[in-house]
Amino acid sequence: MLFKGVPASHGIAIGSAFLLKVEELKHAKRLLESSEQAELEVKRFQVAISSVRHDLENIADTMEDVVEGRQILEFLLLLLQDPTIKRDVESRILGGLVNAEYAVSTALRGVMEKFEVMADPYIRERVADVRDVGRRVIEKLTGTEKDVLDKMQEPVVLVAKDLDPSETAGLKPGQILAFVTDMGGRTSHTTILARALGIPAVVGLQKITSEINPRDMIIVDGIHGHVIVNPTQEELRYYAGIKEKFQKAEKLLQKMNQEPAVTEDGVRIELAANIELPYEVELVNKLGADGIGLFRTEFLRLAQENGENEEDHFAIYDTVAFRMKPKPVIIRTYDMGGDKFRTGLNSVPEANPFLGYRAVRIGLDRPQEFSIQLRAILRASVHGNIRLMFPMVTHVEQLRRLRDLLEKVKNQLRVDEIPFDNDMQVGIMVETPATVIALDLMLPYADFVSIGTNDLTQYSLAVDRGNPRVADLYDSFHPAILRQIDTVVRLCHSQGKWVGVCGSMAGNPLAVPLMIGFGVDELSVAPSLIPDVKRMIGVVTTDAAREMAEKSLVTETGLGVRSLVHSYVMGKYPEILLDENDWETGG
Amino acid sequence: MTEKKVVVPNKLGIHARPAALIVRAAVEFACDIWVESPADKVNAKSIMGVMTLAASGGTEIVVSADGSDEVEAVEAVAEVIRSGFGEEMI
Repeated sequence: MLFKGVPASHGIAIGSAFLLKVEELKHAKRLLESSEQAELEVKRFQVAISSVRHDLENIADTMEDVVEGRQILEFLLLLLQDPTIKRDVESRILGGLVNAEYAVSTALRGVMEKFEVMADPYIRERVADVRDVGRRVIEKLTGTEKDVLDKMQEPVVLVAKDLDPSETAGLKPGQILAFVTDMGGRTSHTTILARALGIPAVVGLQKITSEINPRDMIIVDGIHGHVIVNPTQEELRYYAGIKEKFQKAEKLLQKMNQEPAVTEDGVRIELAANIELPYEVELVNKLGADGIGLFRTEFLRLAQENGENEEDHFAIYDTVAFRMKPKPVIIRTYDMGGDKFRTGLNSVPEANPFLGYRAVRIGLDRPQEFSIQLRAILRASVHGNIRLMFPMVTHVEQLRRLRDLLEKVKNQLRVDEIPFDNDMQVGIMVETPATVIALDLMLPYADFVSIGTNDLTQYSLAVDRGNPRVADLYDSFHPAILRQIDTVVRLCHSQGKWVGVCGSMAGNPLAVPLMIGFGVDELSVAPSLIPDVKRMIGVVTTDAAREMAEKSLVTETGLGVRSLVHSYVMGKYPEILLDENDWETGG
Repeated sequence: MTEKKVVVPNKLGIHARPAALIVRAAVEFACDIWVESPADKVNAKSIMGVMTLAASGGTEIVVSADGSDEVEAVEAVAEVIRSGFGEEMI
């Protein structure tokens, strides 16, 4: 029998069911005889709180390595010590002359009712936290503490109406294979903890508790949110296979996240992330990236309907730079036009937008507006390791004008006595064959370059990949592209400049060994690709990479190049599953 | 009595984690501290209170305090809100 719920925590588990009963937060009323007794009852309540506090702190200590776990326990501790709730309970005891258990349960039910009607689902889910704290306090008061989970002999799949966060935090991954619950959503603390502990979970199953009997065999598919009760032999075999595959991949990825990107022979490769929005920084840091190789700023334009606002720009650049510090953040100036954000800037329809009014062409045409972005970037440069990058520079004189404009902005900042990093690196994107061919003339004006392989491919091969009738000609493994990358690296290194790749070739597992082989200094990819790219870097030696890169330059077709890399990887590490898409498409 | 106006700058507003940050800043001070939205005024040291404010991004908040260290307290709590809690801004 199959049930569908919310996939709360990834993974597959197979095991027998253990039903856990959650007690309602209710307690019988007992009237006290005197206010002296009530005073004693308040004391008893206070003792219970400090005792629960001690328990929660102990659980928090066991979560030293689980950031989310610590945060959630801290939240529970704040709830436990909330002065408003405390006062409410105490006045119920003193005013109503009732027992502490009853006062706690009525006070907290009031709080829970308040939370339950909140519009924000995220806050509604905190009801579970209130009940958790309340249950612990009442158990202390009545002396009925029990650790049911200790009674379990073998690892089980936990089935419950709902799980309390602190209960979940106490679960040991070896003891609990997975859990499934009737209630809960993606952002409940229980769910967040399950993810942090790596326990597969499906929640929000509505009535699963009434459909499962103790010791039923259960398959929990936390990837798709499926729960299969009493599966067939066939289903069992199928899921056992998936489970093994998933665990292998997870283990590998988890290990990689903590480590820097290093080739098999121990050479460190700088692996950075491309981001679009400031909040992505958190993920980037978690994945252990070496910096931001491309911070796209086009989204800021959307928010600037009434003209550019320097403070808006500054706030964003400043935050990102500060949070990445001391790692570098490469801010690319507006790359509008082409297919991106044409509104407002470009009201005249163009026959060939990709060959038209875009990127720095617009910036140089509207220096006043462009200076606002440059000024904000410079101001933020003192709060982190910011580098500036200009897109779509095709003419040397453009680059000279851009540098002049930047100097002007710097001078104005000096006049205004606003600090900035005078040595901030300034680089350009290499996206057109013209830039590659004339690069030696550009390099005196640039500190670094970053190759945008997507545009470079489209401009070199004269293929619009959005046009399905010619899209199959679009191939970043085409010898013309690989040779240009090789040329760029050689030119830059001969002049002591560094080279990054921030196009999709940097994130294509089959291209990664070639980029290393060409001597690219930095790869910048979408955050989600970082684990895969790290893994690919880890299975390549620099010698083999160099050899493959050299061979690729004289291989006739993109398909030939891909099969070259593919057979190397498969010959050495057949367990690496390369996505069929990497194989079929050329970046 | 000291007070200061701030606007909640992050997209998600004051949900659980931001509320915890506010309370943690507030309990460092001896004085009484309140946060007030157009809808309600609550004790800044009460996680339950701050959460039930449910102040969404863009809400104007008045932080006020009364007591010996009120100036520092208001500044500290206002700063936590102003920082956007390290989240995506509006």
